[in-house]
Amino acid sequence: MLKVYKYTLIDLARNKFVGGWLLLLLAITLGLFQLEDQPVKAMLSLSQVLLALVPLVASVFSIVYLYDAMEFTELLAVQPLHRSKILGGQVLALATALVLGALAGAGIPLMLFHPGGASLTLLLACIMLTLVFTAIGALIAIRNREKARGVGLGLVVWFLFVLVYDAILLWVMFAFSDYPIEPLIVPLAALDPIDLGRIMVLLKVDLAAMMGYSGAVYEKFFGSARGILLALAALMAWVAVPAALGFRAFSRKDF
Amino acid sequence: MNKLRACCRVAALLPLLWAAGPLGARTWTVDATGPNKRISVAVASAADGDTIRVLAGTYREGTITIDRRLALVGVGRPLIDGGEQGDVVVINAPGTTLRGFRITGTLVSNINDNAGIKVTKADSVSIIDNIVEHCFFAIHVASSRNTVIERNQVLGDPKAPETRMGNGIHLWHCAGAEILDNISQDHRDGIYFEFVTDSHIRRNKSLRNSRYGLHFMFSHRDTYSDNTFSGNGAGVAVMYSKEVDMRRNKFIRNRGASSYGLLLKEINDAVIDSNQFNDNTTAILLDGCNRLEVIGNVFQGNGWALRLFSNSMTCHFEANSFTGNTFDLSTNGDPKYNSFSGNYWDRYRGYDLDRNGTGDVPFRPLSLFALVNERMPYAVVLSRSLLTQLLDQAERLIPSMTPEGLEDAKPLMKSPHGSIGL
Repeated sequence: MLKVYKYTLIDLARNKFVGGWLLLLLAITLGLFQLEDQPVKAMLSLSQVLLALVPLVASVFSIVYLYDAMEFTELLAVQPLHRSKILGGQVLALATALVLGALAGAGIPLMLFHPGGASLTLLLACIMLTLVFTAIGALIAIRNREKARGVGLGLVVWFLFVLVYDAILLWVMFAFSDYPIEPLIVPLAALDPIDLGRIMVLLKVDLAAMMGYSGAVYEKFFGSARGILLALAALMAWVAVPAALGFRAFSRKDF
Repeated sequence: MNKLRACCRVAALLPLLWAAGPLGARTWTVDATGPNKRISVAVASAADGDTIRVLAGTYREGTITIDRRLALVGVGRPLIDGGEQGDVVVINAPGTTLRGFRITGTLVSNINDNAGIKVTKADSVSIIDNIVEHCFFAIHVASSRNTVIERNQVLGDPKAPETRMGNGIHLWHCAGAEILDNISQDHRDGIYFEFVTDSHIRRNKSLRNSRYGLHFMFSHRDTYSDNTFSGNGAGVAVMYSKEVDMRRNKFIRNRGASSYGLLLKEINDAVIDSNQFNDNTTAILLDGCNRLEVIGNVFQGNGWALRLFSNSMTCHFEANSFTGNTFDLSTNGDPKYNSFSGNYWDRYRGYDLDRNGTGDVPFRPLSLFALVNERMPYAVVLSRSLLTQLLDQAERLIPSMTPEGLEDAKPLMKSPHGSIGL
C-alpha cells in the first residue's frame, strides 16, 4: 500500500491541478485579507468561500483523477496485490495532496494574518471536508464507469450539500414550526457535512448568538466544548461510511 | 500608603486643633489590643461631630449601630466581623462617614436584607474606601439623600448559591446619591437602584454578578457613565425610568438566552451615548421605549446588536458602529416609527460616488434571516450558510418581507470609531 501511496503522490505532485488549487487558495486568502480592513471580517468571508469551494474541488478532482488513473489501477489490479491496498494508497495520496494544498494555500496566510482558535477551527473544518469529499468522490468514481457521469454526479452531490439540503432544512423548520422539532434540528444538520463544518466555525465566531436560544439540545450542544467534538465525530463518520462503501464496491468491481 | 499616613497624622492632630474649638469635637481611639477595645462603647460615649479612629485589628461586636453624626476612620484597615448576627454596621445618623474598614459576617436572611453596611433614613452619609467581603447585602441604603459611596470594594462569595446572595450596592428610595469608583462582584445584582432619582453612577466596575450587573427600576434623571459591566448573569436591566443618561459604559460578554448587554424596558427620553458593547448575546433590547437617542456606540461581535420591539417609538440611532455581529437588528414586528441615520454597518456593500463619506444607496439593517430567526430561534444553525446569504441578498434587492421604511439612508463608508479588532 505504501508503494501505491508513494507513486500516486509523486504523480499528484506533478499534476498541475494540485499546484493550481494551492495558488488559487493563496490568491483568495491573501486577497481577502488585503481587501478587508479587519482580519475577523476577512476570516468570516474566507470561511464562506472555503466551506463551499473545498468540497467542490475535493470531490471533482478526486473523481477526475481516479478516472484518469484507471489504466494504472487496472495494471495494479492484475498484480498479486490486495485490492483494498490499491484503492487505499490512491485515496490516501489524493487526500494528502489536497490537505497539503489547503494547509499551504489557506493555512499559512490564515495563521499569519489572523492567528487564533477561529482560524484553526476553520482549517480543521477544511481538512475534514477535504477527507469527506475525497471519500465521496472515490465512491462515485468506483461506482460509475463513465467519467462525464461521475463528474456530473459529483457536482450534483456538492450542490445538494452546499445549498439544497439547507433549503430543505429551512422548509422543514417552517412547515413543522408548530411542533416541537427543535431537538431534531442539530441531528438533521449533522446529515450534511458542509453544515457540520460551518457549525464548527460558528461555534468559534458566533457563539454569542448560538447561546441566544435556550433549547435543551442546543444548550447541550453549544454550551460546552462538546459541540466541536461532536461535529468532528460526525464528520469522521462522514469519512468512514463513503470510504467503507467505496472499498466494498472496489473489491467487487469487475474491470 | 504615604497618603494614609498623612491622613493618620492629620487625624491625630485633630483633637489638639479641636479641643479648644467652639464645637468641642473630640477624637476617640479604639484599639483591639488597648484598653478601649470596643467600637460600640466609643460610639456610645461620643457626641455629634466626633471622630473615632479605629486601629488595625479584628472587632467582633455583633451589630454596631451608629446613631449620632460621627466620622469612623479605620487606620490600617481594621476588620469588623459581625459574627452572623444580623447587619454589621448600621448607620442611622445623617452626616456620618465610614472610611477604611474591612467588613464581613452578615446573617443571611431574606426577611431583613441584612447588610455589611446599612444606611437607613440618614442623609449625607459617606461610605468611602471600605472592603465589604462575603456579605449577604454589602452596602444597603434606604430612604436617604445625598449618600456618597466611593472607592469601595464589594466582594461577594462566588461559591454561594443565588438564594443566599444579596445585592452588592443596593439603594432604595434615595435621591442625589453619588456612586463612584467602586468594584462590585459576585453578588446577585452588582448595583441595584429602585426609586432613586437625580443620582450619578460613575467609573464603577460590576463583574460576574449572578443576575444583573446594574439593575434599576423607577429611577429617574440618573446618570451612568464610564462604568464597566462584564460577565454578569443577565447583563444590565433598566426598567420603567425616565431621563436616564448613559455614557461611555462598557457592556462586555453577557451571554445566555435571557442575557442582555443592556435591557431597556419602558424607558423614556434617555440618552445612550458612546458606550461599548462587545460579545453579548443581545447588546441592547428595546421594549416599549420612547424618544431614545442612541448615538456613537460601538456594537462589536454580539449575537444581536439591537433587538428593537415594535412597541418602541421615535428612537433614533446615529453614528453607531456595527461590526462582526451575527445580526445587526432584529424585531418582532414593524418598528417603523424609529429612525436610523449615519451609522456604520460592516455589512453595507454600497458605494460612495460623490465621495461625501456616506453611501449613495440606503442600507437595510434588518435581514430576512433575522426575521426568520425571530420566529424560529433554532434556525440559528443555518446562519452564514450559502442559502441564508442568498436569501438576504435577494431580500435586500427586492424587499418583500422586511418592513419597507426601515433603512439607514446615509450609511457611513468608514467607522467613526476607527478600525476595531475583535
